[in-house]
Parts: sequence; C-alpha cells; structure tokens
Amino acid sequence: MTTRTAHATAPTPPTAAPARSAVPGTPWFEFKQTLQPWTRVVLGIVGAALFLGAWQIAGTSDGVPRALFPPPTDVGRALWRLFAEQHFAADVWASFVRIMLSFGLAAVIALPLGMLMGAFAGVAAVLNPLLAGFRYLPATAFIPLFLMWLGAGEEQKIALLLVGVVFFLITLLMDNTLAVRTELIETARTLGANRRQILWSIVLPASLPAYLDTLRQMLAVGWTYLVVAEIVATTDGIGAMMMRAKRFVHVDEIMAGIVIIGVLGVACDGAFRLARHVAFPYLRYQR
Amino acid sequence: MMLPLEAAALARGRPVGDPDFLHFSRVCKDYPLRGGQTLRAIDDVSFSVTEREVCVLLGPSGCGKSTLLRMAAGLDRPSVGEIALAGERVTGPSRDRGMVFQSYTSFPWLTVRQNVEFGLRMNGDSLALKEGTADYFLERVKLEPFQDAYPEQLSGGMRQRVALARALANYPKLLLMDEPFGALDAETRWQMQELLLDVVSKDAMTVLIVTHDIDEALFLGDRIVFLSRHPGRVREILQPPFKQGGRLTTKEALYDAPGYHDIEKHVMRMMREEGAGAPH
Repeated sequence: MTTRTAHATAPTPPTAAPARSAVPGTPWFEFKQTLQPWTRVVLGIVGAALFLGAWQIAGTSDGVPRALFPPPTDVGRALWRLFAEQHFAADVWASFVRIMLSFGLAAVIALPLGMLMGAFAGVAAVLNPLLAGFRYLPATAFIPLFLMWLGAGEEQKIALLLVGVVFFLITLLMDNTLAVRTELIETARTLGANRRQILWSIVLPASLPAYLDTLRQMLAVGWTYLVVAEIVATTDGIGAMMMRAKRFVHVDEIMAGIVIIGVLGVACDGAFRLARHVAFPYLRYQR
Repeated sequence: MMLPLEAAALARGRPVGDPDFLHFSRVCKDYPLRGGQTLRAIDDVSFSVTEREVCVLLGPSGCGKSTLLRMAAGLDRPSVGEIALAGERVTGPSRDRGMVFQSYTSFPWLTVRQNVEFGLRMNGDSLALKEGTADYFLERVKLEPFQDAYPEQLSGGMRQRVALARALANYPKLLLMDEPFGALDAETRWQMQELLLDVVSKDAMTVLIVTHDIDEALFLGDRIVFLSRHPGRVREILQPPFKQGGRLTTKEALYDAPGYHDIEKHVMRMMREEGAGAPH
C-alpha cells in the first residue's frame, strides 16, 4: 500500500546522468570521463599487449628475416643474456650516472637563471635573446668542439647531454616563473614582504610544482640524447653496448638497449610524479 | 593598534579620531596614448577618511575607483597629487596598508593558519606570533576549525575570510579592499558583509573599500565617496543619516532604516546618469 502511494505521489525520475558512468558498457568516447584506477591499469596492459602481440606476429611470420627484425621473445632472451653473461648492469649504471650528473648540472644552472629571468624583466632582457639563439643549435653540432676541448672522456659526454637540455630548461623554467599570479606578489608586498622574501616565500613556492613538471619533461629529452653521447669513443654505457651489437648485427641486443632506455625513462617519470605527490600535498585538492 | 577590548567599547558609536587619517590630495592619474598624448583617467580627486571609519568608494565601472585604492596601497603611483596616511606620504606598499583583492589570493602551498601568520613572519614579529594573534583573527573570521586545511579545500567565502584575517593579523593602520565579495554568490555575499562589519567594528579598523554594489555601499559605509567617470572625479560624498546612532549589524536593519530607500534611489539615479552614453 505504502509503496504504491509513494509511487503515485512522487514519480521516480528517469534513471539518468549519475548512474550512467557506473554501469557496465560505458561508452568509450565520452568527454572528460573519469576512469576507475583498475580500469586504467587494465586498459594500459591491453595497449601494451596489443603492441607486443602485433610485434610478435610480425617478427615470427614467414619472409621476415628474424635476425634483422626479432620478435619480443628474442629481445627478452637477449636482455637475459646481456644481464647474466655480459655485465650489462654495469653499462646501465654508467649511463644512469651520466644522465643524472648531466641533468643535475643542467638543473643547477637552469633553476636560478630561469627563476631570476621570470621574476625580473631586466634579467630576461639581457639573457633571453642570447639563450634563444642557443636553443636552435643542435646539440650534436657541439660534439667536434667538445672532443677538442674536453677530449674523448666522460666530460665530453656530460657536456653534450648538458647542452642538449639546459637551454630549453632555462626557457621553460622562466615561463613557469612568469606564470606566478601578480596578485600573489602584490598581496605579499602589502603584507610588508621585501624583495628577497617575495622571491623565496612567494615566487619560488608558487613555481615549484611547475618546475618539477618541467624537469620531468626535460629529463625525458636527456634520455633521448644518451645514445648519441655514447656513440663517440665510449666503452661502457647502454649506447656503447648498442654500437658493439651493431657491429655484429645483434639486432635483438640493440632492441634490448632501446627497451631498457624506455623502462628507465618511465621509472624516472614515475619517481618525479611520486615526488610531486609527496612534496606538494595541497595540489591533491586542486579542482 | 588598539587592544580589542578598547576597540569594542568604541565600536557602537560614530568613528572618532583624526578626520584626515587617510587623505587624497588633488590626485590625478594619466595614461599615455599613442602620439605623445595622455588620457586623464582620474582628475583632481581629494577626500579624507576619518580614523576608524569605514569609507566606501562607489561608482560606475571605469571611474578609477580600483586605481585609487591601488594608489593608496602603494601599488600604483598618482601622476599628480599625493596620498598620505596619518600624515605620512604613501610612496610604496607597506604593512601599514593591508589589502584584500577581489580574486582569491590565499597562498595555496600554506595552510589557513600559515596564511594568516604570513605577514607576521615576513616582518619578524615573533612576539605577535607567540601571543596568539593568528588564533584571535582565525576565531574572528570563524575559521578556527579549518586552520590546518589548505585554501584549495575551502569555498570562495572562506578564502576571502582567510584573506581578511591575514590582512588584519598584520596589524595594519588601514585596511584596503578591492571588491572583496565581487566573486561570491549572493548568500555568501551578505553573510560576508555582516561579518566584515562586525570584525572591523570590534577592532576599530579604518577601512577603504571599493564596490559597485549600491546595497553593499550603504550597508558598509560610514561615508560613501561617489565617483563620476571619464575622467574619475568625486561627484558627491554621502554620510547615510540612518547611521548616526551607530553601525548596522544586519542587512534587514538596512532595509528598515529610515531614509534608506531615498538614498538608494538617489545613488541609483547618479549611477544611471554616469552610465548614460556608455557603451552597452
């Protein structure tokens, strides 16, 4: 009885908007959709599996020379061989140290410059035209110069990796600093903060999350220069291994090197994301 | 700065104190145009704000009221004339003149409490920090339960309360507010107006506040400076007669106040006249 009356007086609204995203069979192409974490993981695995599957089929089909285009299973075996028998871990470590040293150096140079250029128009006016020019020079063009100046040792490789990212880094960090809202700086001034305090207590903390994002993006670019840097007169490192493998047409080992660079890149990316999450708890509430 | 108790004793009566506490003296603002000409946006503006008074700058958009406020803060400079606070010429921003902006200016990386303490930290005022200044003002704006939250977790009205407490905790001589409730919804807006009047009355603050909302001006202002536009000039200075016995505490009291409708109509007519010929 009661239920019937309730139905009569308050007609149920048609099942609509709120329920839609929860039901199975969610449409694929919906704008601004929020996915469940596990859905994202599954879809990510599906994407990778599709790629590996297509590669496996292509690599094992007739007419494709297996030595020049090995399937993922061969690359996996090569990886195992490299680590177990050829001390590949030492190569990976050498490359990792090179990337970290050069990128650390680039960050140490670029952070103060980018911050000062973004904060003070005068500093930007002096440095920006010069740095903008350097940005257009290909890093590889510096290899002969660095070989003459620094020799064929570690310094030359670090220098090349540094030049590859530092000019972009400065410009991007400057843009991050410029994006600090004027009202925040003006508020600090009316609260009695002086120039130095505004730089350290407003401009820096307001820019830091963006700085971290920029560093993350540019570290990826640093990894892309790695093989170039390790081609010239190098005996260790992922790139050097790949050049050795090329001499003996060990394509599976070259591909293994590429895979390892990708894996290390993704790991660095993850480390930066984690750092961002831990260092800036207030960003979790951003709408 | 007076002690809160002394201030409370003064709160109910008319503001008393230096009649020229904040003084605008023949202030003009020119902007350069192409071809070496200049546009005079603000022309020969002179008026005074009495100590402990709430003064409202009211006028149509484009009358230069925000620019006048920014000049009082020291964030802009007058082209001609000068502004003085307690006899001292304004040459730049200082902790004497706290400001609340229309846009949200809470520092997102600091908690509510850290935001409120920001000015005292910048000025090395460890005594005020130890004495619980932040607690006092957090309580005044009813944000004590949210002191450890981040601004991003708060509503718009709460964020403006953070900005208000942050400005007041720094013990400024003058509080400047640039359409502080302009971005809030109607309900939050009247609640904030009542809260603001309560807070500044109890602490006997001198306030200069910019608005284009007639209701807000009549509710908040002991004195209302109405500006004309193109160029901005002082057209009329009003002192609502229904505030002779003291400030209002609720919006209903404003609507019941004798003469409220006449003065509102009068201001509305001025608004319309100033707006005439404006682009629509």
